[in-house]
Amino acid sequence: MTSGRRRLLLAGAGAGAVSLLRPVAHAQTLLSPPDELAALVKAYTQGAVVLPGKVKLDISPLVDNGNSVPITISVASPMSATDYVKSIAMFNEKNPQRDVIRVLLGPRSGKASVSTRIRLANSQKLIAVAQLSDGTWWSHTVDVLVTLAACIDI
Amino acid sequence: MSAVESTVSGAGRRRFLKGSAAAAGSLVVSFHIPFVRDAEAQGVAAAPEVNAWVVVQPDDTVIIRIARSEMGQGSLTGLAQLCAEELECNWAKVRTEYPTPGQNLARNRVWGNFSTGGSRGIRESNEYVRKGGATARMMLLQAAADEWKVPVAECTVADSVITHAGSQRTTSYGKVAAAASKLTAPTEVKLKDPKDWKLIGKRLARLDTVDKTTGKLVYGMDLKMPGMVNAAIRRCEVFGGKLKSYDEKVALKRKGVKKVLKVGDDAVAVVADTWWRAKTALDAMPIEWDLGPNAKASTASFAEVLKEGLSAKEAVVGNQSGDAAAAIAAAPRKVEAVYTYPHQNHACMEVMNATARWTPERCEVWTPTQNGEAAHAATAEAAGLPPAQCEVYKLHLGGGFGRRGAVHDWVRQAVEIAKQMPGTPVKLIWSREEDMAHGSYHPITHCKMTAGLDNDGNVTAFAMRISGQSILAGVAPQAIQNGKDPVVFQGLNPPGPESSLGYAFPAVMIDHAMRNPHVPPGFWRGVNLNHNAIYMECFIDEIAHETKQDPLALRRKLLANAPKYLAVLNAVADKAGYGTPAPAGVYRGLAVTHGFGSYVAACAEISVSADGALKIHRIVAATDPGYAVNPQQIEAQIEGSFVYGLGAALFQECTVKDGKIEQTNFHNYRPLRMAEMPVVEPIVMPSGGFWGGVGEPTIAVAAPAVLNAIFAATGKRIRNLPVGDQSLKKA
Repeated sequence: MTSGRRRLLLAGAGAGAVSLLRPVAHAQTLLSPPDELAALVKAYTQGAVVLPGKVKLDISPLVDNGNSVPITISVASPMSATDYVKSIAMFNEKNPQRDVIRVLLGPRSGKASVSTRIRLANSQKLIAVAQLSDGTWWSHTVDVLVTLAACIDI
Repeated sequence: MSAVESTVSGAGRRRFLKGSAAAAGSLVVSFHIPFVRDAEAQGVAAAPEVNAWVVVQPDDTVIIRIARSEMGQGSLTGLAQLCAEELECNWAKVRTEYPTPGQNLARNRVWGNFSTGGSRGIRESNEYVRKGGATARMMLLQAAADEWKVPVAECTVADSVITHAGSQRTTSYGKVAAAASKLTAPTEVKLKDPKDWKLIGKRLARLDTVDKTTGKLVYGMDLKMPGMVNAAIRRCEVFGGKLKSYDEKVALKRKGVKKVLKVGDDAVAVVADTWWRAKTALDAMPIEWDLGPNAKASTASFAEVLKEGLSAKEAVVGNQSGDAAAAIAAAPRKVEAVYTYPHQNHACMEVMNATARWTPERCEVWTPTQNGEAAHAATAEAAGLPPAQCEVYKLHLGGGFGRRGAVHDWVRQAVEIAKQMPGTPVKLIWSREEDMAHGSYHPITHCKMTAGLDNDGNVTAFAMRISGQSILAGVAPQAIQNGKDPVVFQGLNPPGPESSLGYAFPAVMIDHAMRNPHVPPGFWRGVNLNHNAIYMECFIDEIAHETKQDPLALRRKLLANAPKYLAVLNAVADKAGYGTPAPAGVYRGLAVTHGFGSYVAACAEISVSADGALKIHRIVAATDPGYAVNPQQIEAQIEGSFVYGLGAALFQECTVKDGKIEQTNFHNYRPLRMAEMPVVEPIVMPSGGFWGGVGEPTIAVAAPAVLNAIFAATGKRIRNLPVGDQSLKKA
């Protein structure tokens, strides 16, 4: 747990307390992925516009042990010859390896859903992105709280 | 009280609450879940919250929400003081309550972190807790100003009474709270200058003392619910072993036994109408275990592994400056010593326990925990339900010490049992023996230290190799950074605000060879600072002895540029009368360190009789925590640190034979007894400008101060903890 994270938590909680009656503003700040995460996505999509929606990143918002966390990324798609998901990827904000998974799909994949388990080093933002056969890019950003050990004092 | 009881679990729970209120006289604060707006159903007038932190009732009672857990350390009162300081409310009418982790999740973590460990309860949350109070104050004042149609700047408040001097009108928080709750919270919040604090820094009585003293407070073990059953559990005593088979017929034919259940792959539980019937049936039931690969492990085998680590080539550096190896090689004289520290159990007075109720739609858990959010996450994972369909109700802890923070194994077990009995509340209580066999133990370490000395006895270099367990590798391996567990170096880090080495050596090399025996390590009050401070502080004494210097004088020399360390050291030396003759037969020992953000020192006065019996007469202990929210409570923490720390230093060791812990109860794992407890004279000396913790740092100076005094008395250097039955007869 770095002091940066501590500051983030303090700032986040402080802001939360004050902005309780301003949920819209608060939600907006949470929806903006940090610059670094945005840069990873941008590199992957080669700068294409990525809109929120269509993709679902299913992961518990609260994780007791970050060692092995189940995730499922899915897109509601008929996966037909003309309408399918071409690729799915996921990036994270604070793991040593930011590039978690990249999957190429085609009509014969049957369904656009991948499941695996990942390790989460810390509480952080995760973003799943997918490209459809029409070339559009879609994403889903999720905040995960890893309830790390209590007495860490570095 | 505006807070109404939880309705999440339906009418049954409400009846239970009312029933137990009648039985026990009243309810504990922990049971009040404040956010449910069904006052009608409760027959209680629910007051709206002014903001997440503050609820004001019409009679001016102020309820302050406390996210961190109370386990005896007093944060409940200290955090309330922080909030009330800015709120400017009447302290006599302050009450507290816990928000639930489920509500925190649902409300975007409005209360921040629930984790109560690392002595962080106050130091990490003080700013946003104070802001919570300040924000509520501003809204309450605004509501009064709006009502009077006067500028808010003309209104003042003291003790919950708002005054407009110009029109000589007054009102109170209780009267304007409903209007205030409808206002938009201000975004610009200015906190008081510390010089203007009125409540922070006051020796206020704890808010939980009366309920604890009268027995009104309900602890997890005492919890009762209609239709509740009781579970006793046994997990394979060899860590990593599995459950092979059990003969449930033996248990099932006993009176009161309802079920025998497999729990996970390594435990079996008996569920009965009473806990004792469950426990005795479990004891009577034949169980076979697959002991796994650790069945032959022993403390002696761990020692071999750790000993090898002391000279291993590969190690991870925690603090390095200059070329210590070269300086030591070139030194005309050296001091060298090897120390060891054992596994220890937290041995909380209240054993692990949780009550769980599971249905396919919802899972609820009532448990004492140091981290409600972690308990919530563990509940959801074990229940197989999303966190939004789970809830944890925190209860005050009968001791935590780190055991109830990082690993919620008992919560998982309770949920797994409840899951096999849908709809039935199940209370799981570990036996003391189970608690001793399944701790998350103080890590075991060995340490080799070498100091290079010049011809004048000055230290030219200091090298320290720690070999042993990493807590993070055990509980959160994902937090290991490039093979380094940074927590290992508590108290030994380069200069910084957290846990730094204060001594200035011309060259330093401190590294760690990670060696992880199979016994699960955990955060034990004081964590790695405990053994690190023993190693460092006893070794400083060894250097002083070798170079014929007074231990205080040597410390002062090496801390010349570390004024905060020096200040606490000098404070204990002055108060203890160091440098003046001690009573006949009494000897003094010193220790100083920095941990959890605070600077601490101790001076112990002890005597050793001719037959080697140790008597600790007096401890003087100083703490500089930056800001002291409640000095009386800090003093209590300092005193308590010696109860816990001296018991550990003198008696406590968990030894392993055939892969399992040998100690089973307090007869062979004993704490300090009343008659052995010295007088403790605490010095709370906040120097301002930073927020340090107080629950843990003082533990770390308990052992080395006494060990150094033992050396002064006997010439015997105790290098292997605990003191145990090592002879203290004069050398």
